[in-house]
Amino acid sequence: MTLVPPPFDPELAAALELIGDTVSPGITVDQIDAFRESTGIDAMAGIDLTADGHFEVEDRSVPGPAGSPEVSLLICRPRAPRTPGPLPVIYQVHGGGMIIGNNRVGMEGPLGWAKELDAVVVSVEYRLAPEHPHPAPIEDVYAGLVWTADHADEIGGDAGRVLIVGGSAGGGLCAALALLARDRGGPRLLGQMLLCPMLDDRNDTPSARQMAGLGVWDRTANETGWTALLGDRRGGPDVSPYAAAARATDLSGLPPAFLDVGSAETFRDEVVGYASRIWQAGGVAELHVWPGGFHGFDGFAPQAAVSRAARAAQTEWVRRLLGG
Amino acid sequence: MSPRSPRMPHHERMRELAGRLTAVDPDAGAAVQVITYFDRLAVDRAGLESLVRGAAVLAGCPARLVDDGRRVRVRVRPDGVREDGGPPVGAGWPSAALEPGGAPALWLERTTGGPSVVDAVILERAAAAIRDVLDRTRGRAPASPADDPALLETVLDATVPEATRSRAARRLGAGPGTRVRALASADGRPRVLLGYPDAPPPDAELPPGRLGVGPAVDVLDLPRSWDDARTALRFTADGTARDPGPRVVRAEELGGVALLAGLVAPGAQPPSDVRALETAAAGAPWLLATLHAVASTTSQRAAAAEINVHHSTLQDRLTHAEHLLGWPLRTPQGRLRLHLALTMRHLARP
Repeated sequence: MTLVPPPFDPELAAALELIGDTVSPGITVDQIDAFRESTGIDAMAGIDLTADGHFEVEDRSVPGPAGSPEVSLLICRPRAPRTPGPLPVIYQVHGGGMIIGNNRVGMEGPLGWAKELDAVVVSVEYRLAPEHPHPAPIEDVYAGLVWTADHADEIGGDAGRVLIVGGSAGGGLCAALALLARDRGGPRLLGQMLLCPMLDDRNDTPSARQMAGLGVWDRTANETGWTALLGDRRGGPDVSPYAAAARATDLSGLPPAFLDVGSAETFRDEVVGYASRIWQAGGVAELHVWPGGFHGFDGFAPQAAVSRAARAAQTEWVRRLLGG
Repeated sequence: MSPRSPRMPHHERMRELAGRLTAVDPDAGAAVQVITYFDRLAVDRAGLESLVRGAAVLAGCPARLVDDGRRVRVRVRPDGVREDGGPPVGAGWPSAALEPGGAPALWLERTTGGPSVVDAVILERAAAAIRDVLDRTRGRAPASPADDPALLETVLDATVPEATRSRAARRLGAGPGTRVRALASADGRPRVLLGYPDAPPPDAELPPGRLGVGPAVDVLDLPRSWDDARTALRFTADGTARDPGPRVVRAEELGGVALLAGLVAPGAQPPSDVRALETAAAGAPWLLATLHAVASTTSQRAAAAEINVHHSTLQDRLTHAEHLLGWPLRTPQGRLRLHLALTMRHLARP
């Protein structure tokens, strides 16, 4: 049977033509090094973290998981908060397919919300696969969260109002982080924001097959990312939900979730499925499936009408969550 | 929005892509990117705002489209936000017209730096795509749609899908359910006539020259009205002494006579009675007009009045004509034979 992919949104399709020479849909294991050296990820990270002096930026090393190196946290605090007392904390986990990226990637959204809604942003650096397979990345992310909650007062934050957010692999790590915090009795979370999250190592949904070879981060690239993280265990019977959150059998007792995804991307069906299972478990979730969106469309083509709608939905959810 | 706000890097990146290519191959590389971008938008039938946004994003400055004739005003900032209004049009802004030789309608609000090749390419490609969208969605403003041969061809062609014909008909001012008529004229140019759903229009309200008027039909049945109009056209005449007969023929008035059109092929060897008419007319210039008067009036007296001759002159002419043609003209059967011969003479016209 031929799988007909949904069409890209016209503006996104045109943008994809322009970025097509720097972003390719599929990445194989032997291309990881070249992928890391390509300029794309630097461009994503090359932003002014102070937002024109609005934030005071600090790079802090905090204790890592037991027996592991320290974890680096990028902390952005408003210089002159408009609201008195401790501020909400946006704990950010960057994306990059588990294999690339650093804690300066994906900061524009969180910094924008933090500027508008008066919050502290903490972005965690985690060790990358395949050099550091599971559980290194999620344990680094968890260690950073524990430190942030325990030391919230040091950074002007409110330990009772910590929102976790991540895109792509960062979204997958956030979903796993919420499960881990629940299961270990760790920090209580205000919400989890899973932006086009990478949730399922099995990589065999209709959308994954439908979008093979198209857009950004296709089934081949996804296999590369999950194999880097899990090795031969990828797709097998004994994958931990703290590696691939879609493997969790119990999605009850989780903080309110925001999930978004494009209709024309590999992750569509696993994200829709995850949201449905949160509801089925009696939980709270808001799901947006943006028509014609490729993976990360709102980052690659922020001017497009559908991207601005997606970003407005994100901002509004954060505003409602923080009661602003 | 300040140039270093957190969301800026994305536009920077888009512009860097164009800039990077510019560095490799000045102007040409970026121009290719611009062309690729707008071609893709056009293929996907993107709307006006997407096209103006594309111009703004690629140029890195606000872009505005103003077409007062079609009541279109779209202004988009380089961050993609629609923000109609803005400052008055600047004298030095690069601009493009939507029609060749037309007034500027699309501007890049470029306040610094001179005109560049990339700006020119952006304007040219965006204006072309915008023109297509406007033509598709709002009609072609300056010329009357009724004069657009492509639209007329579309509504008259039964092989064109109904949805397409329906759209074309709307642009001609005929919405679904409207009763319209096709007009066929000797110059070959098709016309569509609105506003005569019941009775056909009087000659005075029709264009000059020989005309076949099709029956009033629903817009989607125009191909049938067009066929009938073209058949009716074959029954018309110039109305001169050499070619007497009606200038305008209405298909619905032909009745069974229309069947003759299928029997006499244009330009083929005419039937023998027609050949007899031609031979007789060659030696008697009055013959065709006289016989037409006899065939088309209710009495010989009326026929004489029609051609301004005395009744006795008419009788002399008919006697002469009966001799030339070889059949009687003053019996009912003879008059029918004459009428058929005169009619087939028009139908045999190449």
